[in-house]
Amino acid sequence: MNQDSRVQAFVSAFEALRAEVEKIIVGHREVITHVLTGMFAGGHVLLEGVPGLGKTLLIKTLSEGLDLSFARIQFTPDLMPADIIGTNIIVEDADGRKHFQFQHGPIFAHILLADEINRATPKTQSALLEGMQESAVTVGGATRPLPAPFFVLATQNPIEMEGTYPLPEAQLDRFLFKLRVRYPQIEELNAIIDRTTQPRAATVSRVLSGPDVLSFRELIREVPIASHVRDFASAIVMATHPQWEQAPDVARRFVRYGASPRGAQALVLGAKVRALAEGRYNVSVDDIKAMAVPALRHRVILNFEGEAEGVDTDTLITRVVADTEAGVSQSREPFLR
Amino acid sequence: MTESPRIEGLLRRIRREIRRRRAEYYGLRGAFWGAVAAVAVMLAKHGVGAKAPWIAGGLVLLGLLAGVVYGAARSIRRGDVARVADRAFGLDDRVATTLEWADRPDRTPLVDALVRDTVARVEKLELKRVVKRVVPREGQLLALPVIACLVLAVSPPIPLPSGRLPDFLSSTEEEREDRTSSSMLEESTRQLTKDPLKRPAFEERDFAQRTGGTGASTTGDLSAIFKDTSLANARPDFNSFMKKGDERLRMLEQTDRMPDLQSDVTNSQYKMMYRKSKALTGGLRPDQISPQKLRELLEEMERLGRKGGANWSGDAMEGMEALEGGQSDRALESMQKALDKMRAMDEAQRSGKSLRGGRENERGARGKDRARGDGMGPEDQDFGEGEGLMPGKGKSGNPKGEATQRLRANPFDVGVEGESRQGRKEGYDTNLTGRGGSMASRLQYLGVIGQYRKAMEDAITREQVPRDFHDQIRNYFQALDER
Repeated sequence: MNQDSRVQAFVSAFEALRAEVEKIIVGHREVITHVLTGMFAGGHVLLEGVPGLGKTLLIKTLSEGLDLSFARIQFTPDLMPADIIGTNIIVEDADGRKHFQFQHGPIFAHILLADEINRATPKTQSALLEGMQESAVTVGGATRPLPAPFFVLATQNPIEMEGTYPLPEAQLDRFLFKLRVRYPQIEELNAIIDRTTQPRAATVSRVLSGPDVLSFRELIREVPIASHVRDFASAIVMATHPQWEQAPDVARRFVRYGASPRGAQALVLGAKVRALAEGRYNVSVDDIKAMAVPALRHRVILNFEGEAEGVDTDTLITRVVADTEAGVSQSREPFLR
Repeated sequence: MTESPRIEGLLRRIRREIRRRRAEYYGLRGAFWGAVAAVAVMLAKHGVGAKAPWIAGGLVLLGLLAGVVYGAARSIRRGDVARVADRAFGLDDRVATTLEWADRPDRTPLVDALVRDTVARVEKLELKRVVKRVVPREGQLLALPVIACLVLAVSPPIPLPSGRLPDFLSSTEEEREDRTSSSMLEESTRQLTKDPLKRPAFEERDFAQRTGGTGASTTGDLSAIFKDTSLANARPDFNSFMKKGDERLRMLEQTDRMPDLQSDVTNSQYKMMYRKSKALTGGLRPDQISPQKLRELLEEMERLGRKGGANWSGDAMEGMEALEGGQSDRALESMQKALDKMRAMDEAQRSGKSLRGGRENERGARGKDRARGDGMGPEDQDFGEGEGLMPGKGKSGNPKGEATQRLRANPFDVGVEGESRQGRKEGYDTNLTGRGGSMASRLQYLGVIGQYRKAMEDAITREQVPRDFHDQIRNYFQALDER
């Protein structure tokens, strides 16, 4: 298969998977696109939204469109790490001898839905850390690889903060994207009502297998990126740091900690997926700009002034991107802008 | 290289456009600065002559050409051109990425697809002008110097201003020549003694005229620096303002040229000679004193004595003879003797003017009265040498004796006429004690300096004296007050 065919196959698979999800999920096209982008980029996605917006349903539908194993964990305060990873249990064989046997936890699935992840204790939340970063878990001194592709989709509720444990920064940084699921428009709400209150339920077809996903992940990493586009991505990430000498005023004023290098990786990987999904063979500046908010919104920590003034990280990042682009443009002579 | 003539052609075309726009841009800037230089040449038309318009035109042309050459010669990177092409034709950074990745050794298989895709898209492009013309600020203002050049070309030549400051010290060339022909000694004498020709102009100065700005200043009149008619009537430009300020400060620094209001009673021949002798001998041993300067001083003393018929000219002559014989010690002794005689004569003259010239004279006068046995009032009572001031001694009717005179013991300390009491001063003229306290000239001086200070405050307020200089000027007048 030549490169054009591979790219075309990816574009078709991306569109097909999105279409399957949209059979069930009304609206949220951007969220669906970003979830697929995160999956093909090899990252994990955190969805944030009030209850009832279809976060869990979206992930379940996605898993149905993929020929992959799926597991769901409902995070609660009494959930223990062993409930996620698994544990050694004593089993007795036919001869009556007893020995330890590892009982796999739900994390040993291709697609893991961590529902309401902020309701579990930090100890339990951190049980996911190694799996998300290394695609392996260590239990009883033995490191066990997770199945590939391994894709964590977590949800959290931003308003019911009573009895919750906000994810620590280290845990948040493991997520490639953080997506905000917003309330649907009235037309979308009408469509939701029609779809869910009628007897005929839509079915989702499996359009993609695990090896396909892995193959596309490799293809995505081959997408070339020009140096000035890469520099632009780096400049955006650096501009979120208030200590940076060229940081825009908005970052200096409202940001306590800027995005980590993982933020830059997320920007570029997401941009590559976006480029390829649109049938392009290269990353453009617009791809970087489109990925800035989902890739950086959970990596920028506001300072007291920012929180006191209710600064929205999305708005802040948009401003940072605009200021960075303007700065880059200003640094060139008028004929080269 | 992409090996695509279509992409290379696109880049060449855009590069040409950028060069052309750059040439226009820098050409306008060069023409502007050339025109500014041309204005300067046209302003100096009086000195340059008939060639000025040609030179001005040449400068404009030269600036234009230099700008065009500079703009066209500046290098343009391929990556920059590719980015311009991407933005102009909406190619989503395809051209820039293709150019960058086509030759890289770590190119991925997807790059080949990228190159093909880019070439295909570029071939479908409808070429258009993509680089916008940018007019620099200098280009927008270019008309101003050009019009100024044209106006100056048709107007008569402007004479160049003289760069020399007016001479406040001598009014005519004649006086300047006199100064240069006089000796060094006379030069220094002139600095110490005030020019009688200048004094009336200074003393008769009407402070009220300053604000009017119509009073004409005369050469050498120090008040001219405060009258400043040009600043009062018209809004001055910054250069003239700075120039005036500099002149004022320069004059303020020349304290020896300021009018000495006490010179009528304090500046005597004796004091002048005394200062010169102190300046000559101060801190030096006799063998370190310049014989030439000592001779000049003695000659001057001799000349003054001869002119006034005084008795110290003989001492001065003796000193000169001793100096001829190489006896500096004797020469100095003779000079001291002459100085003593000059002082005695000076004090005698001051007594003749009903001014208290010194303790010795007063005592001498009182001693004479006592010797005559005239009836003495209480104010005339005194005691003889060694009688002291303690109660019960002397002939004072006061049981506590006479108050001690608060005078400086050193009669040579002519620079200090009196001293203030310690503590709070109620007024400068009532709280003075000692010799200066009863001197009419002191009161006059303080009165006049008060007027000067008031006028100075007016001048600072009304005229545009730089703020940083206010304190300096006030300190100067404060120093005058404390004398």
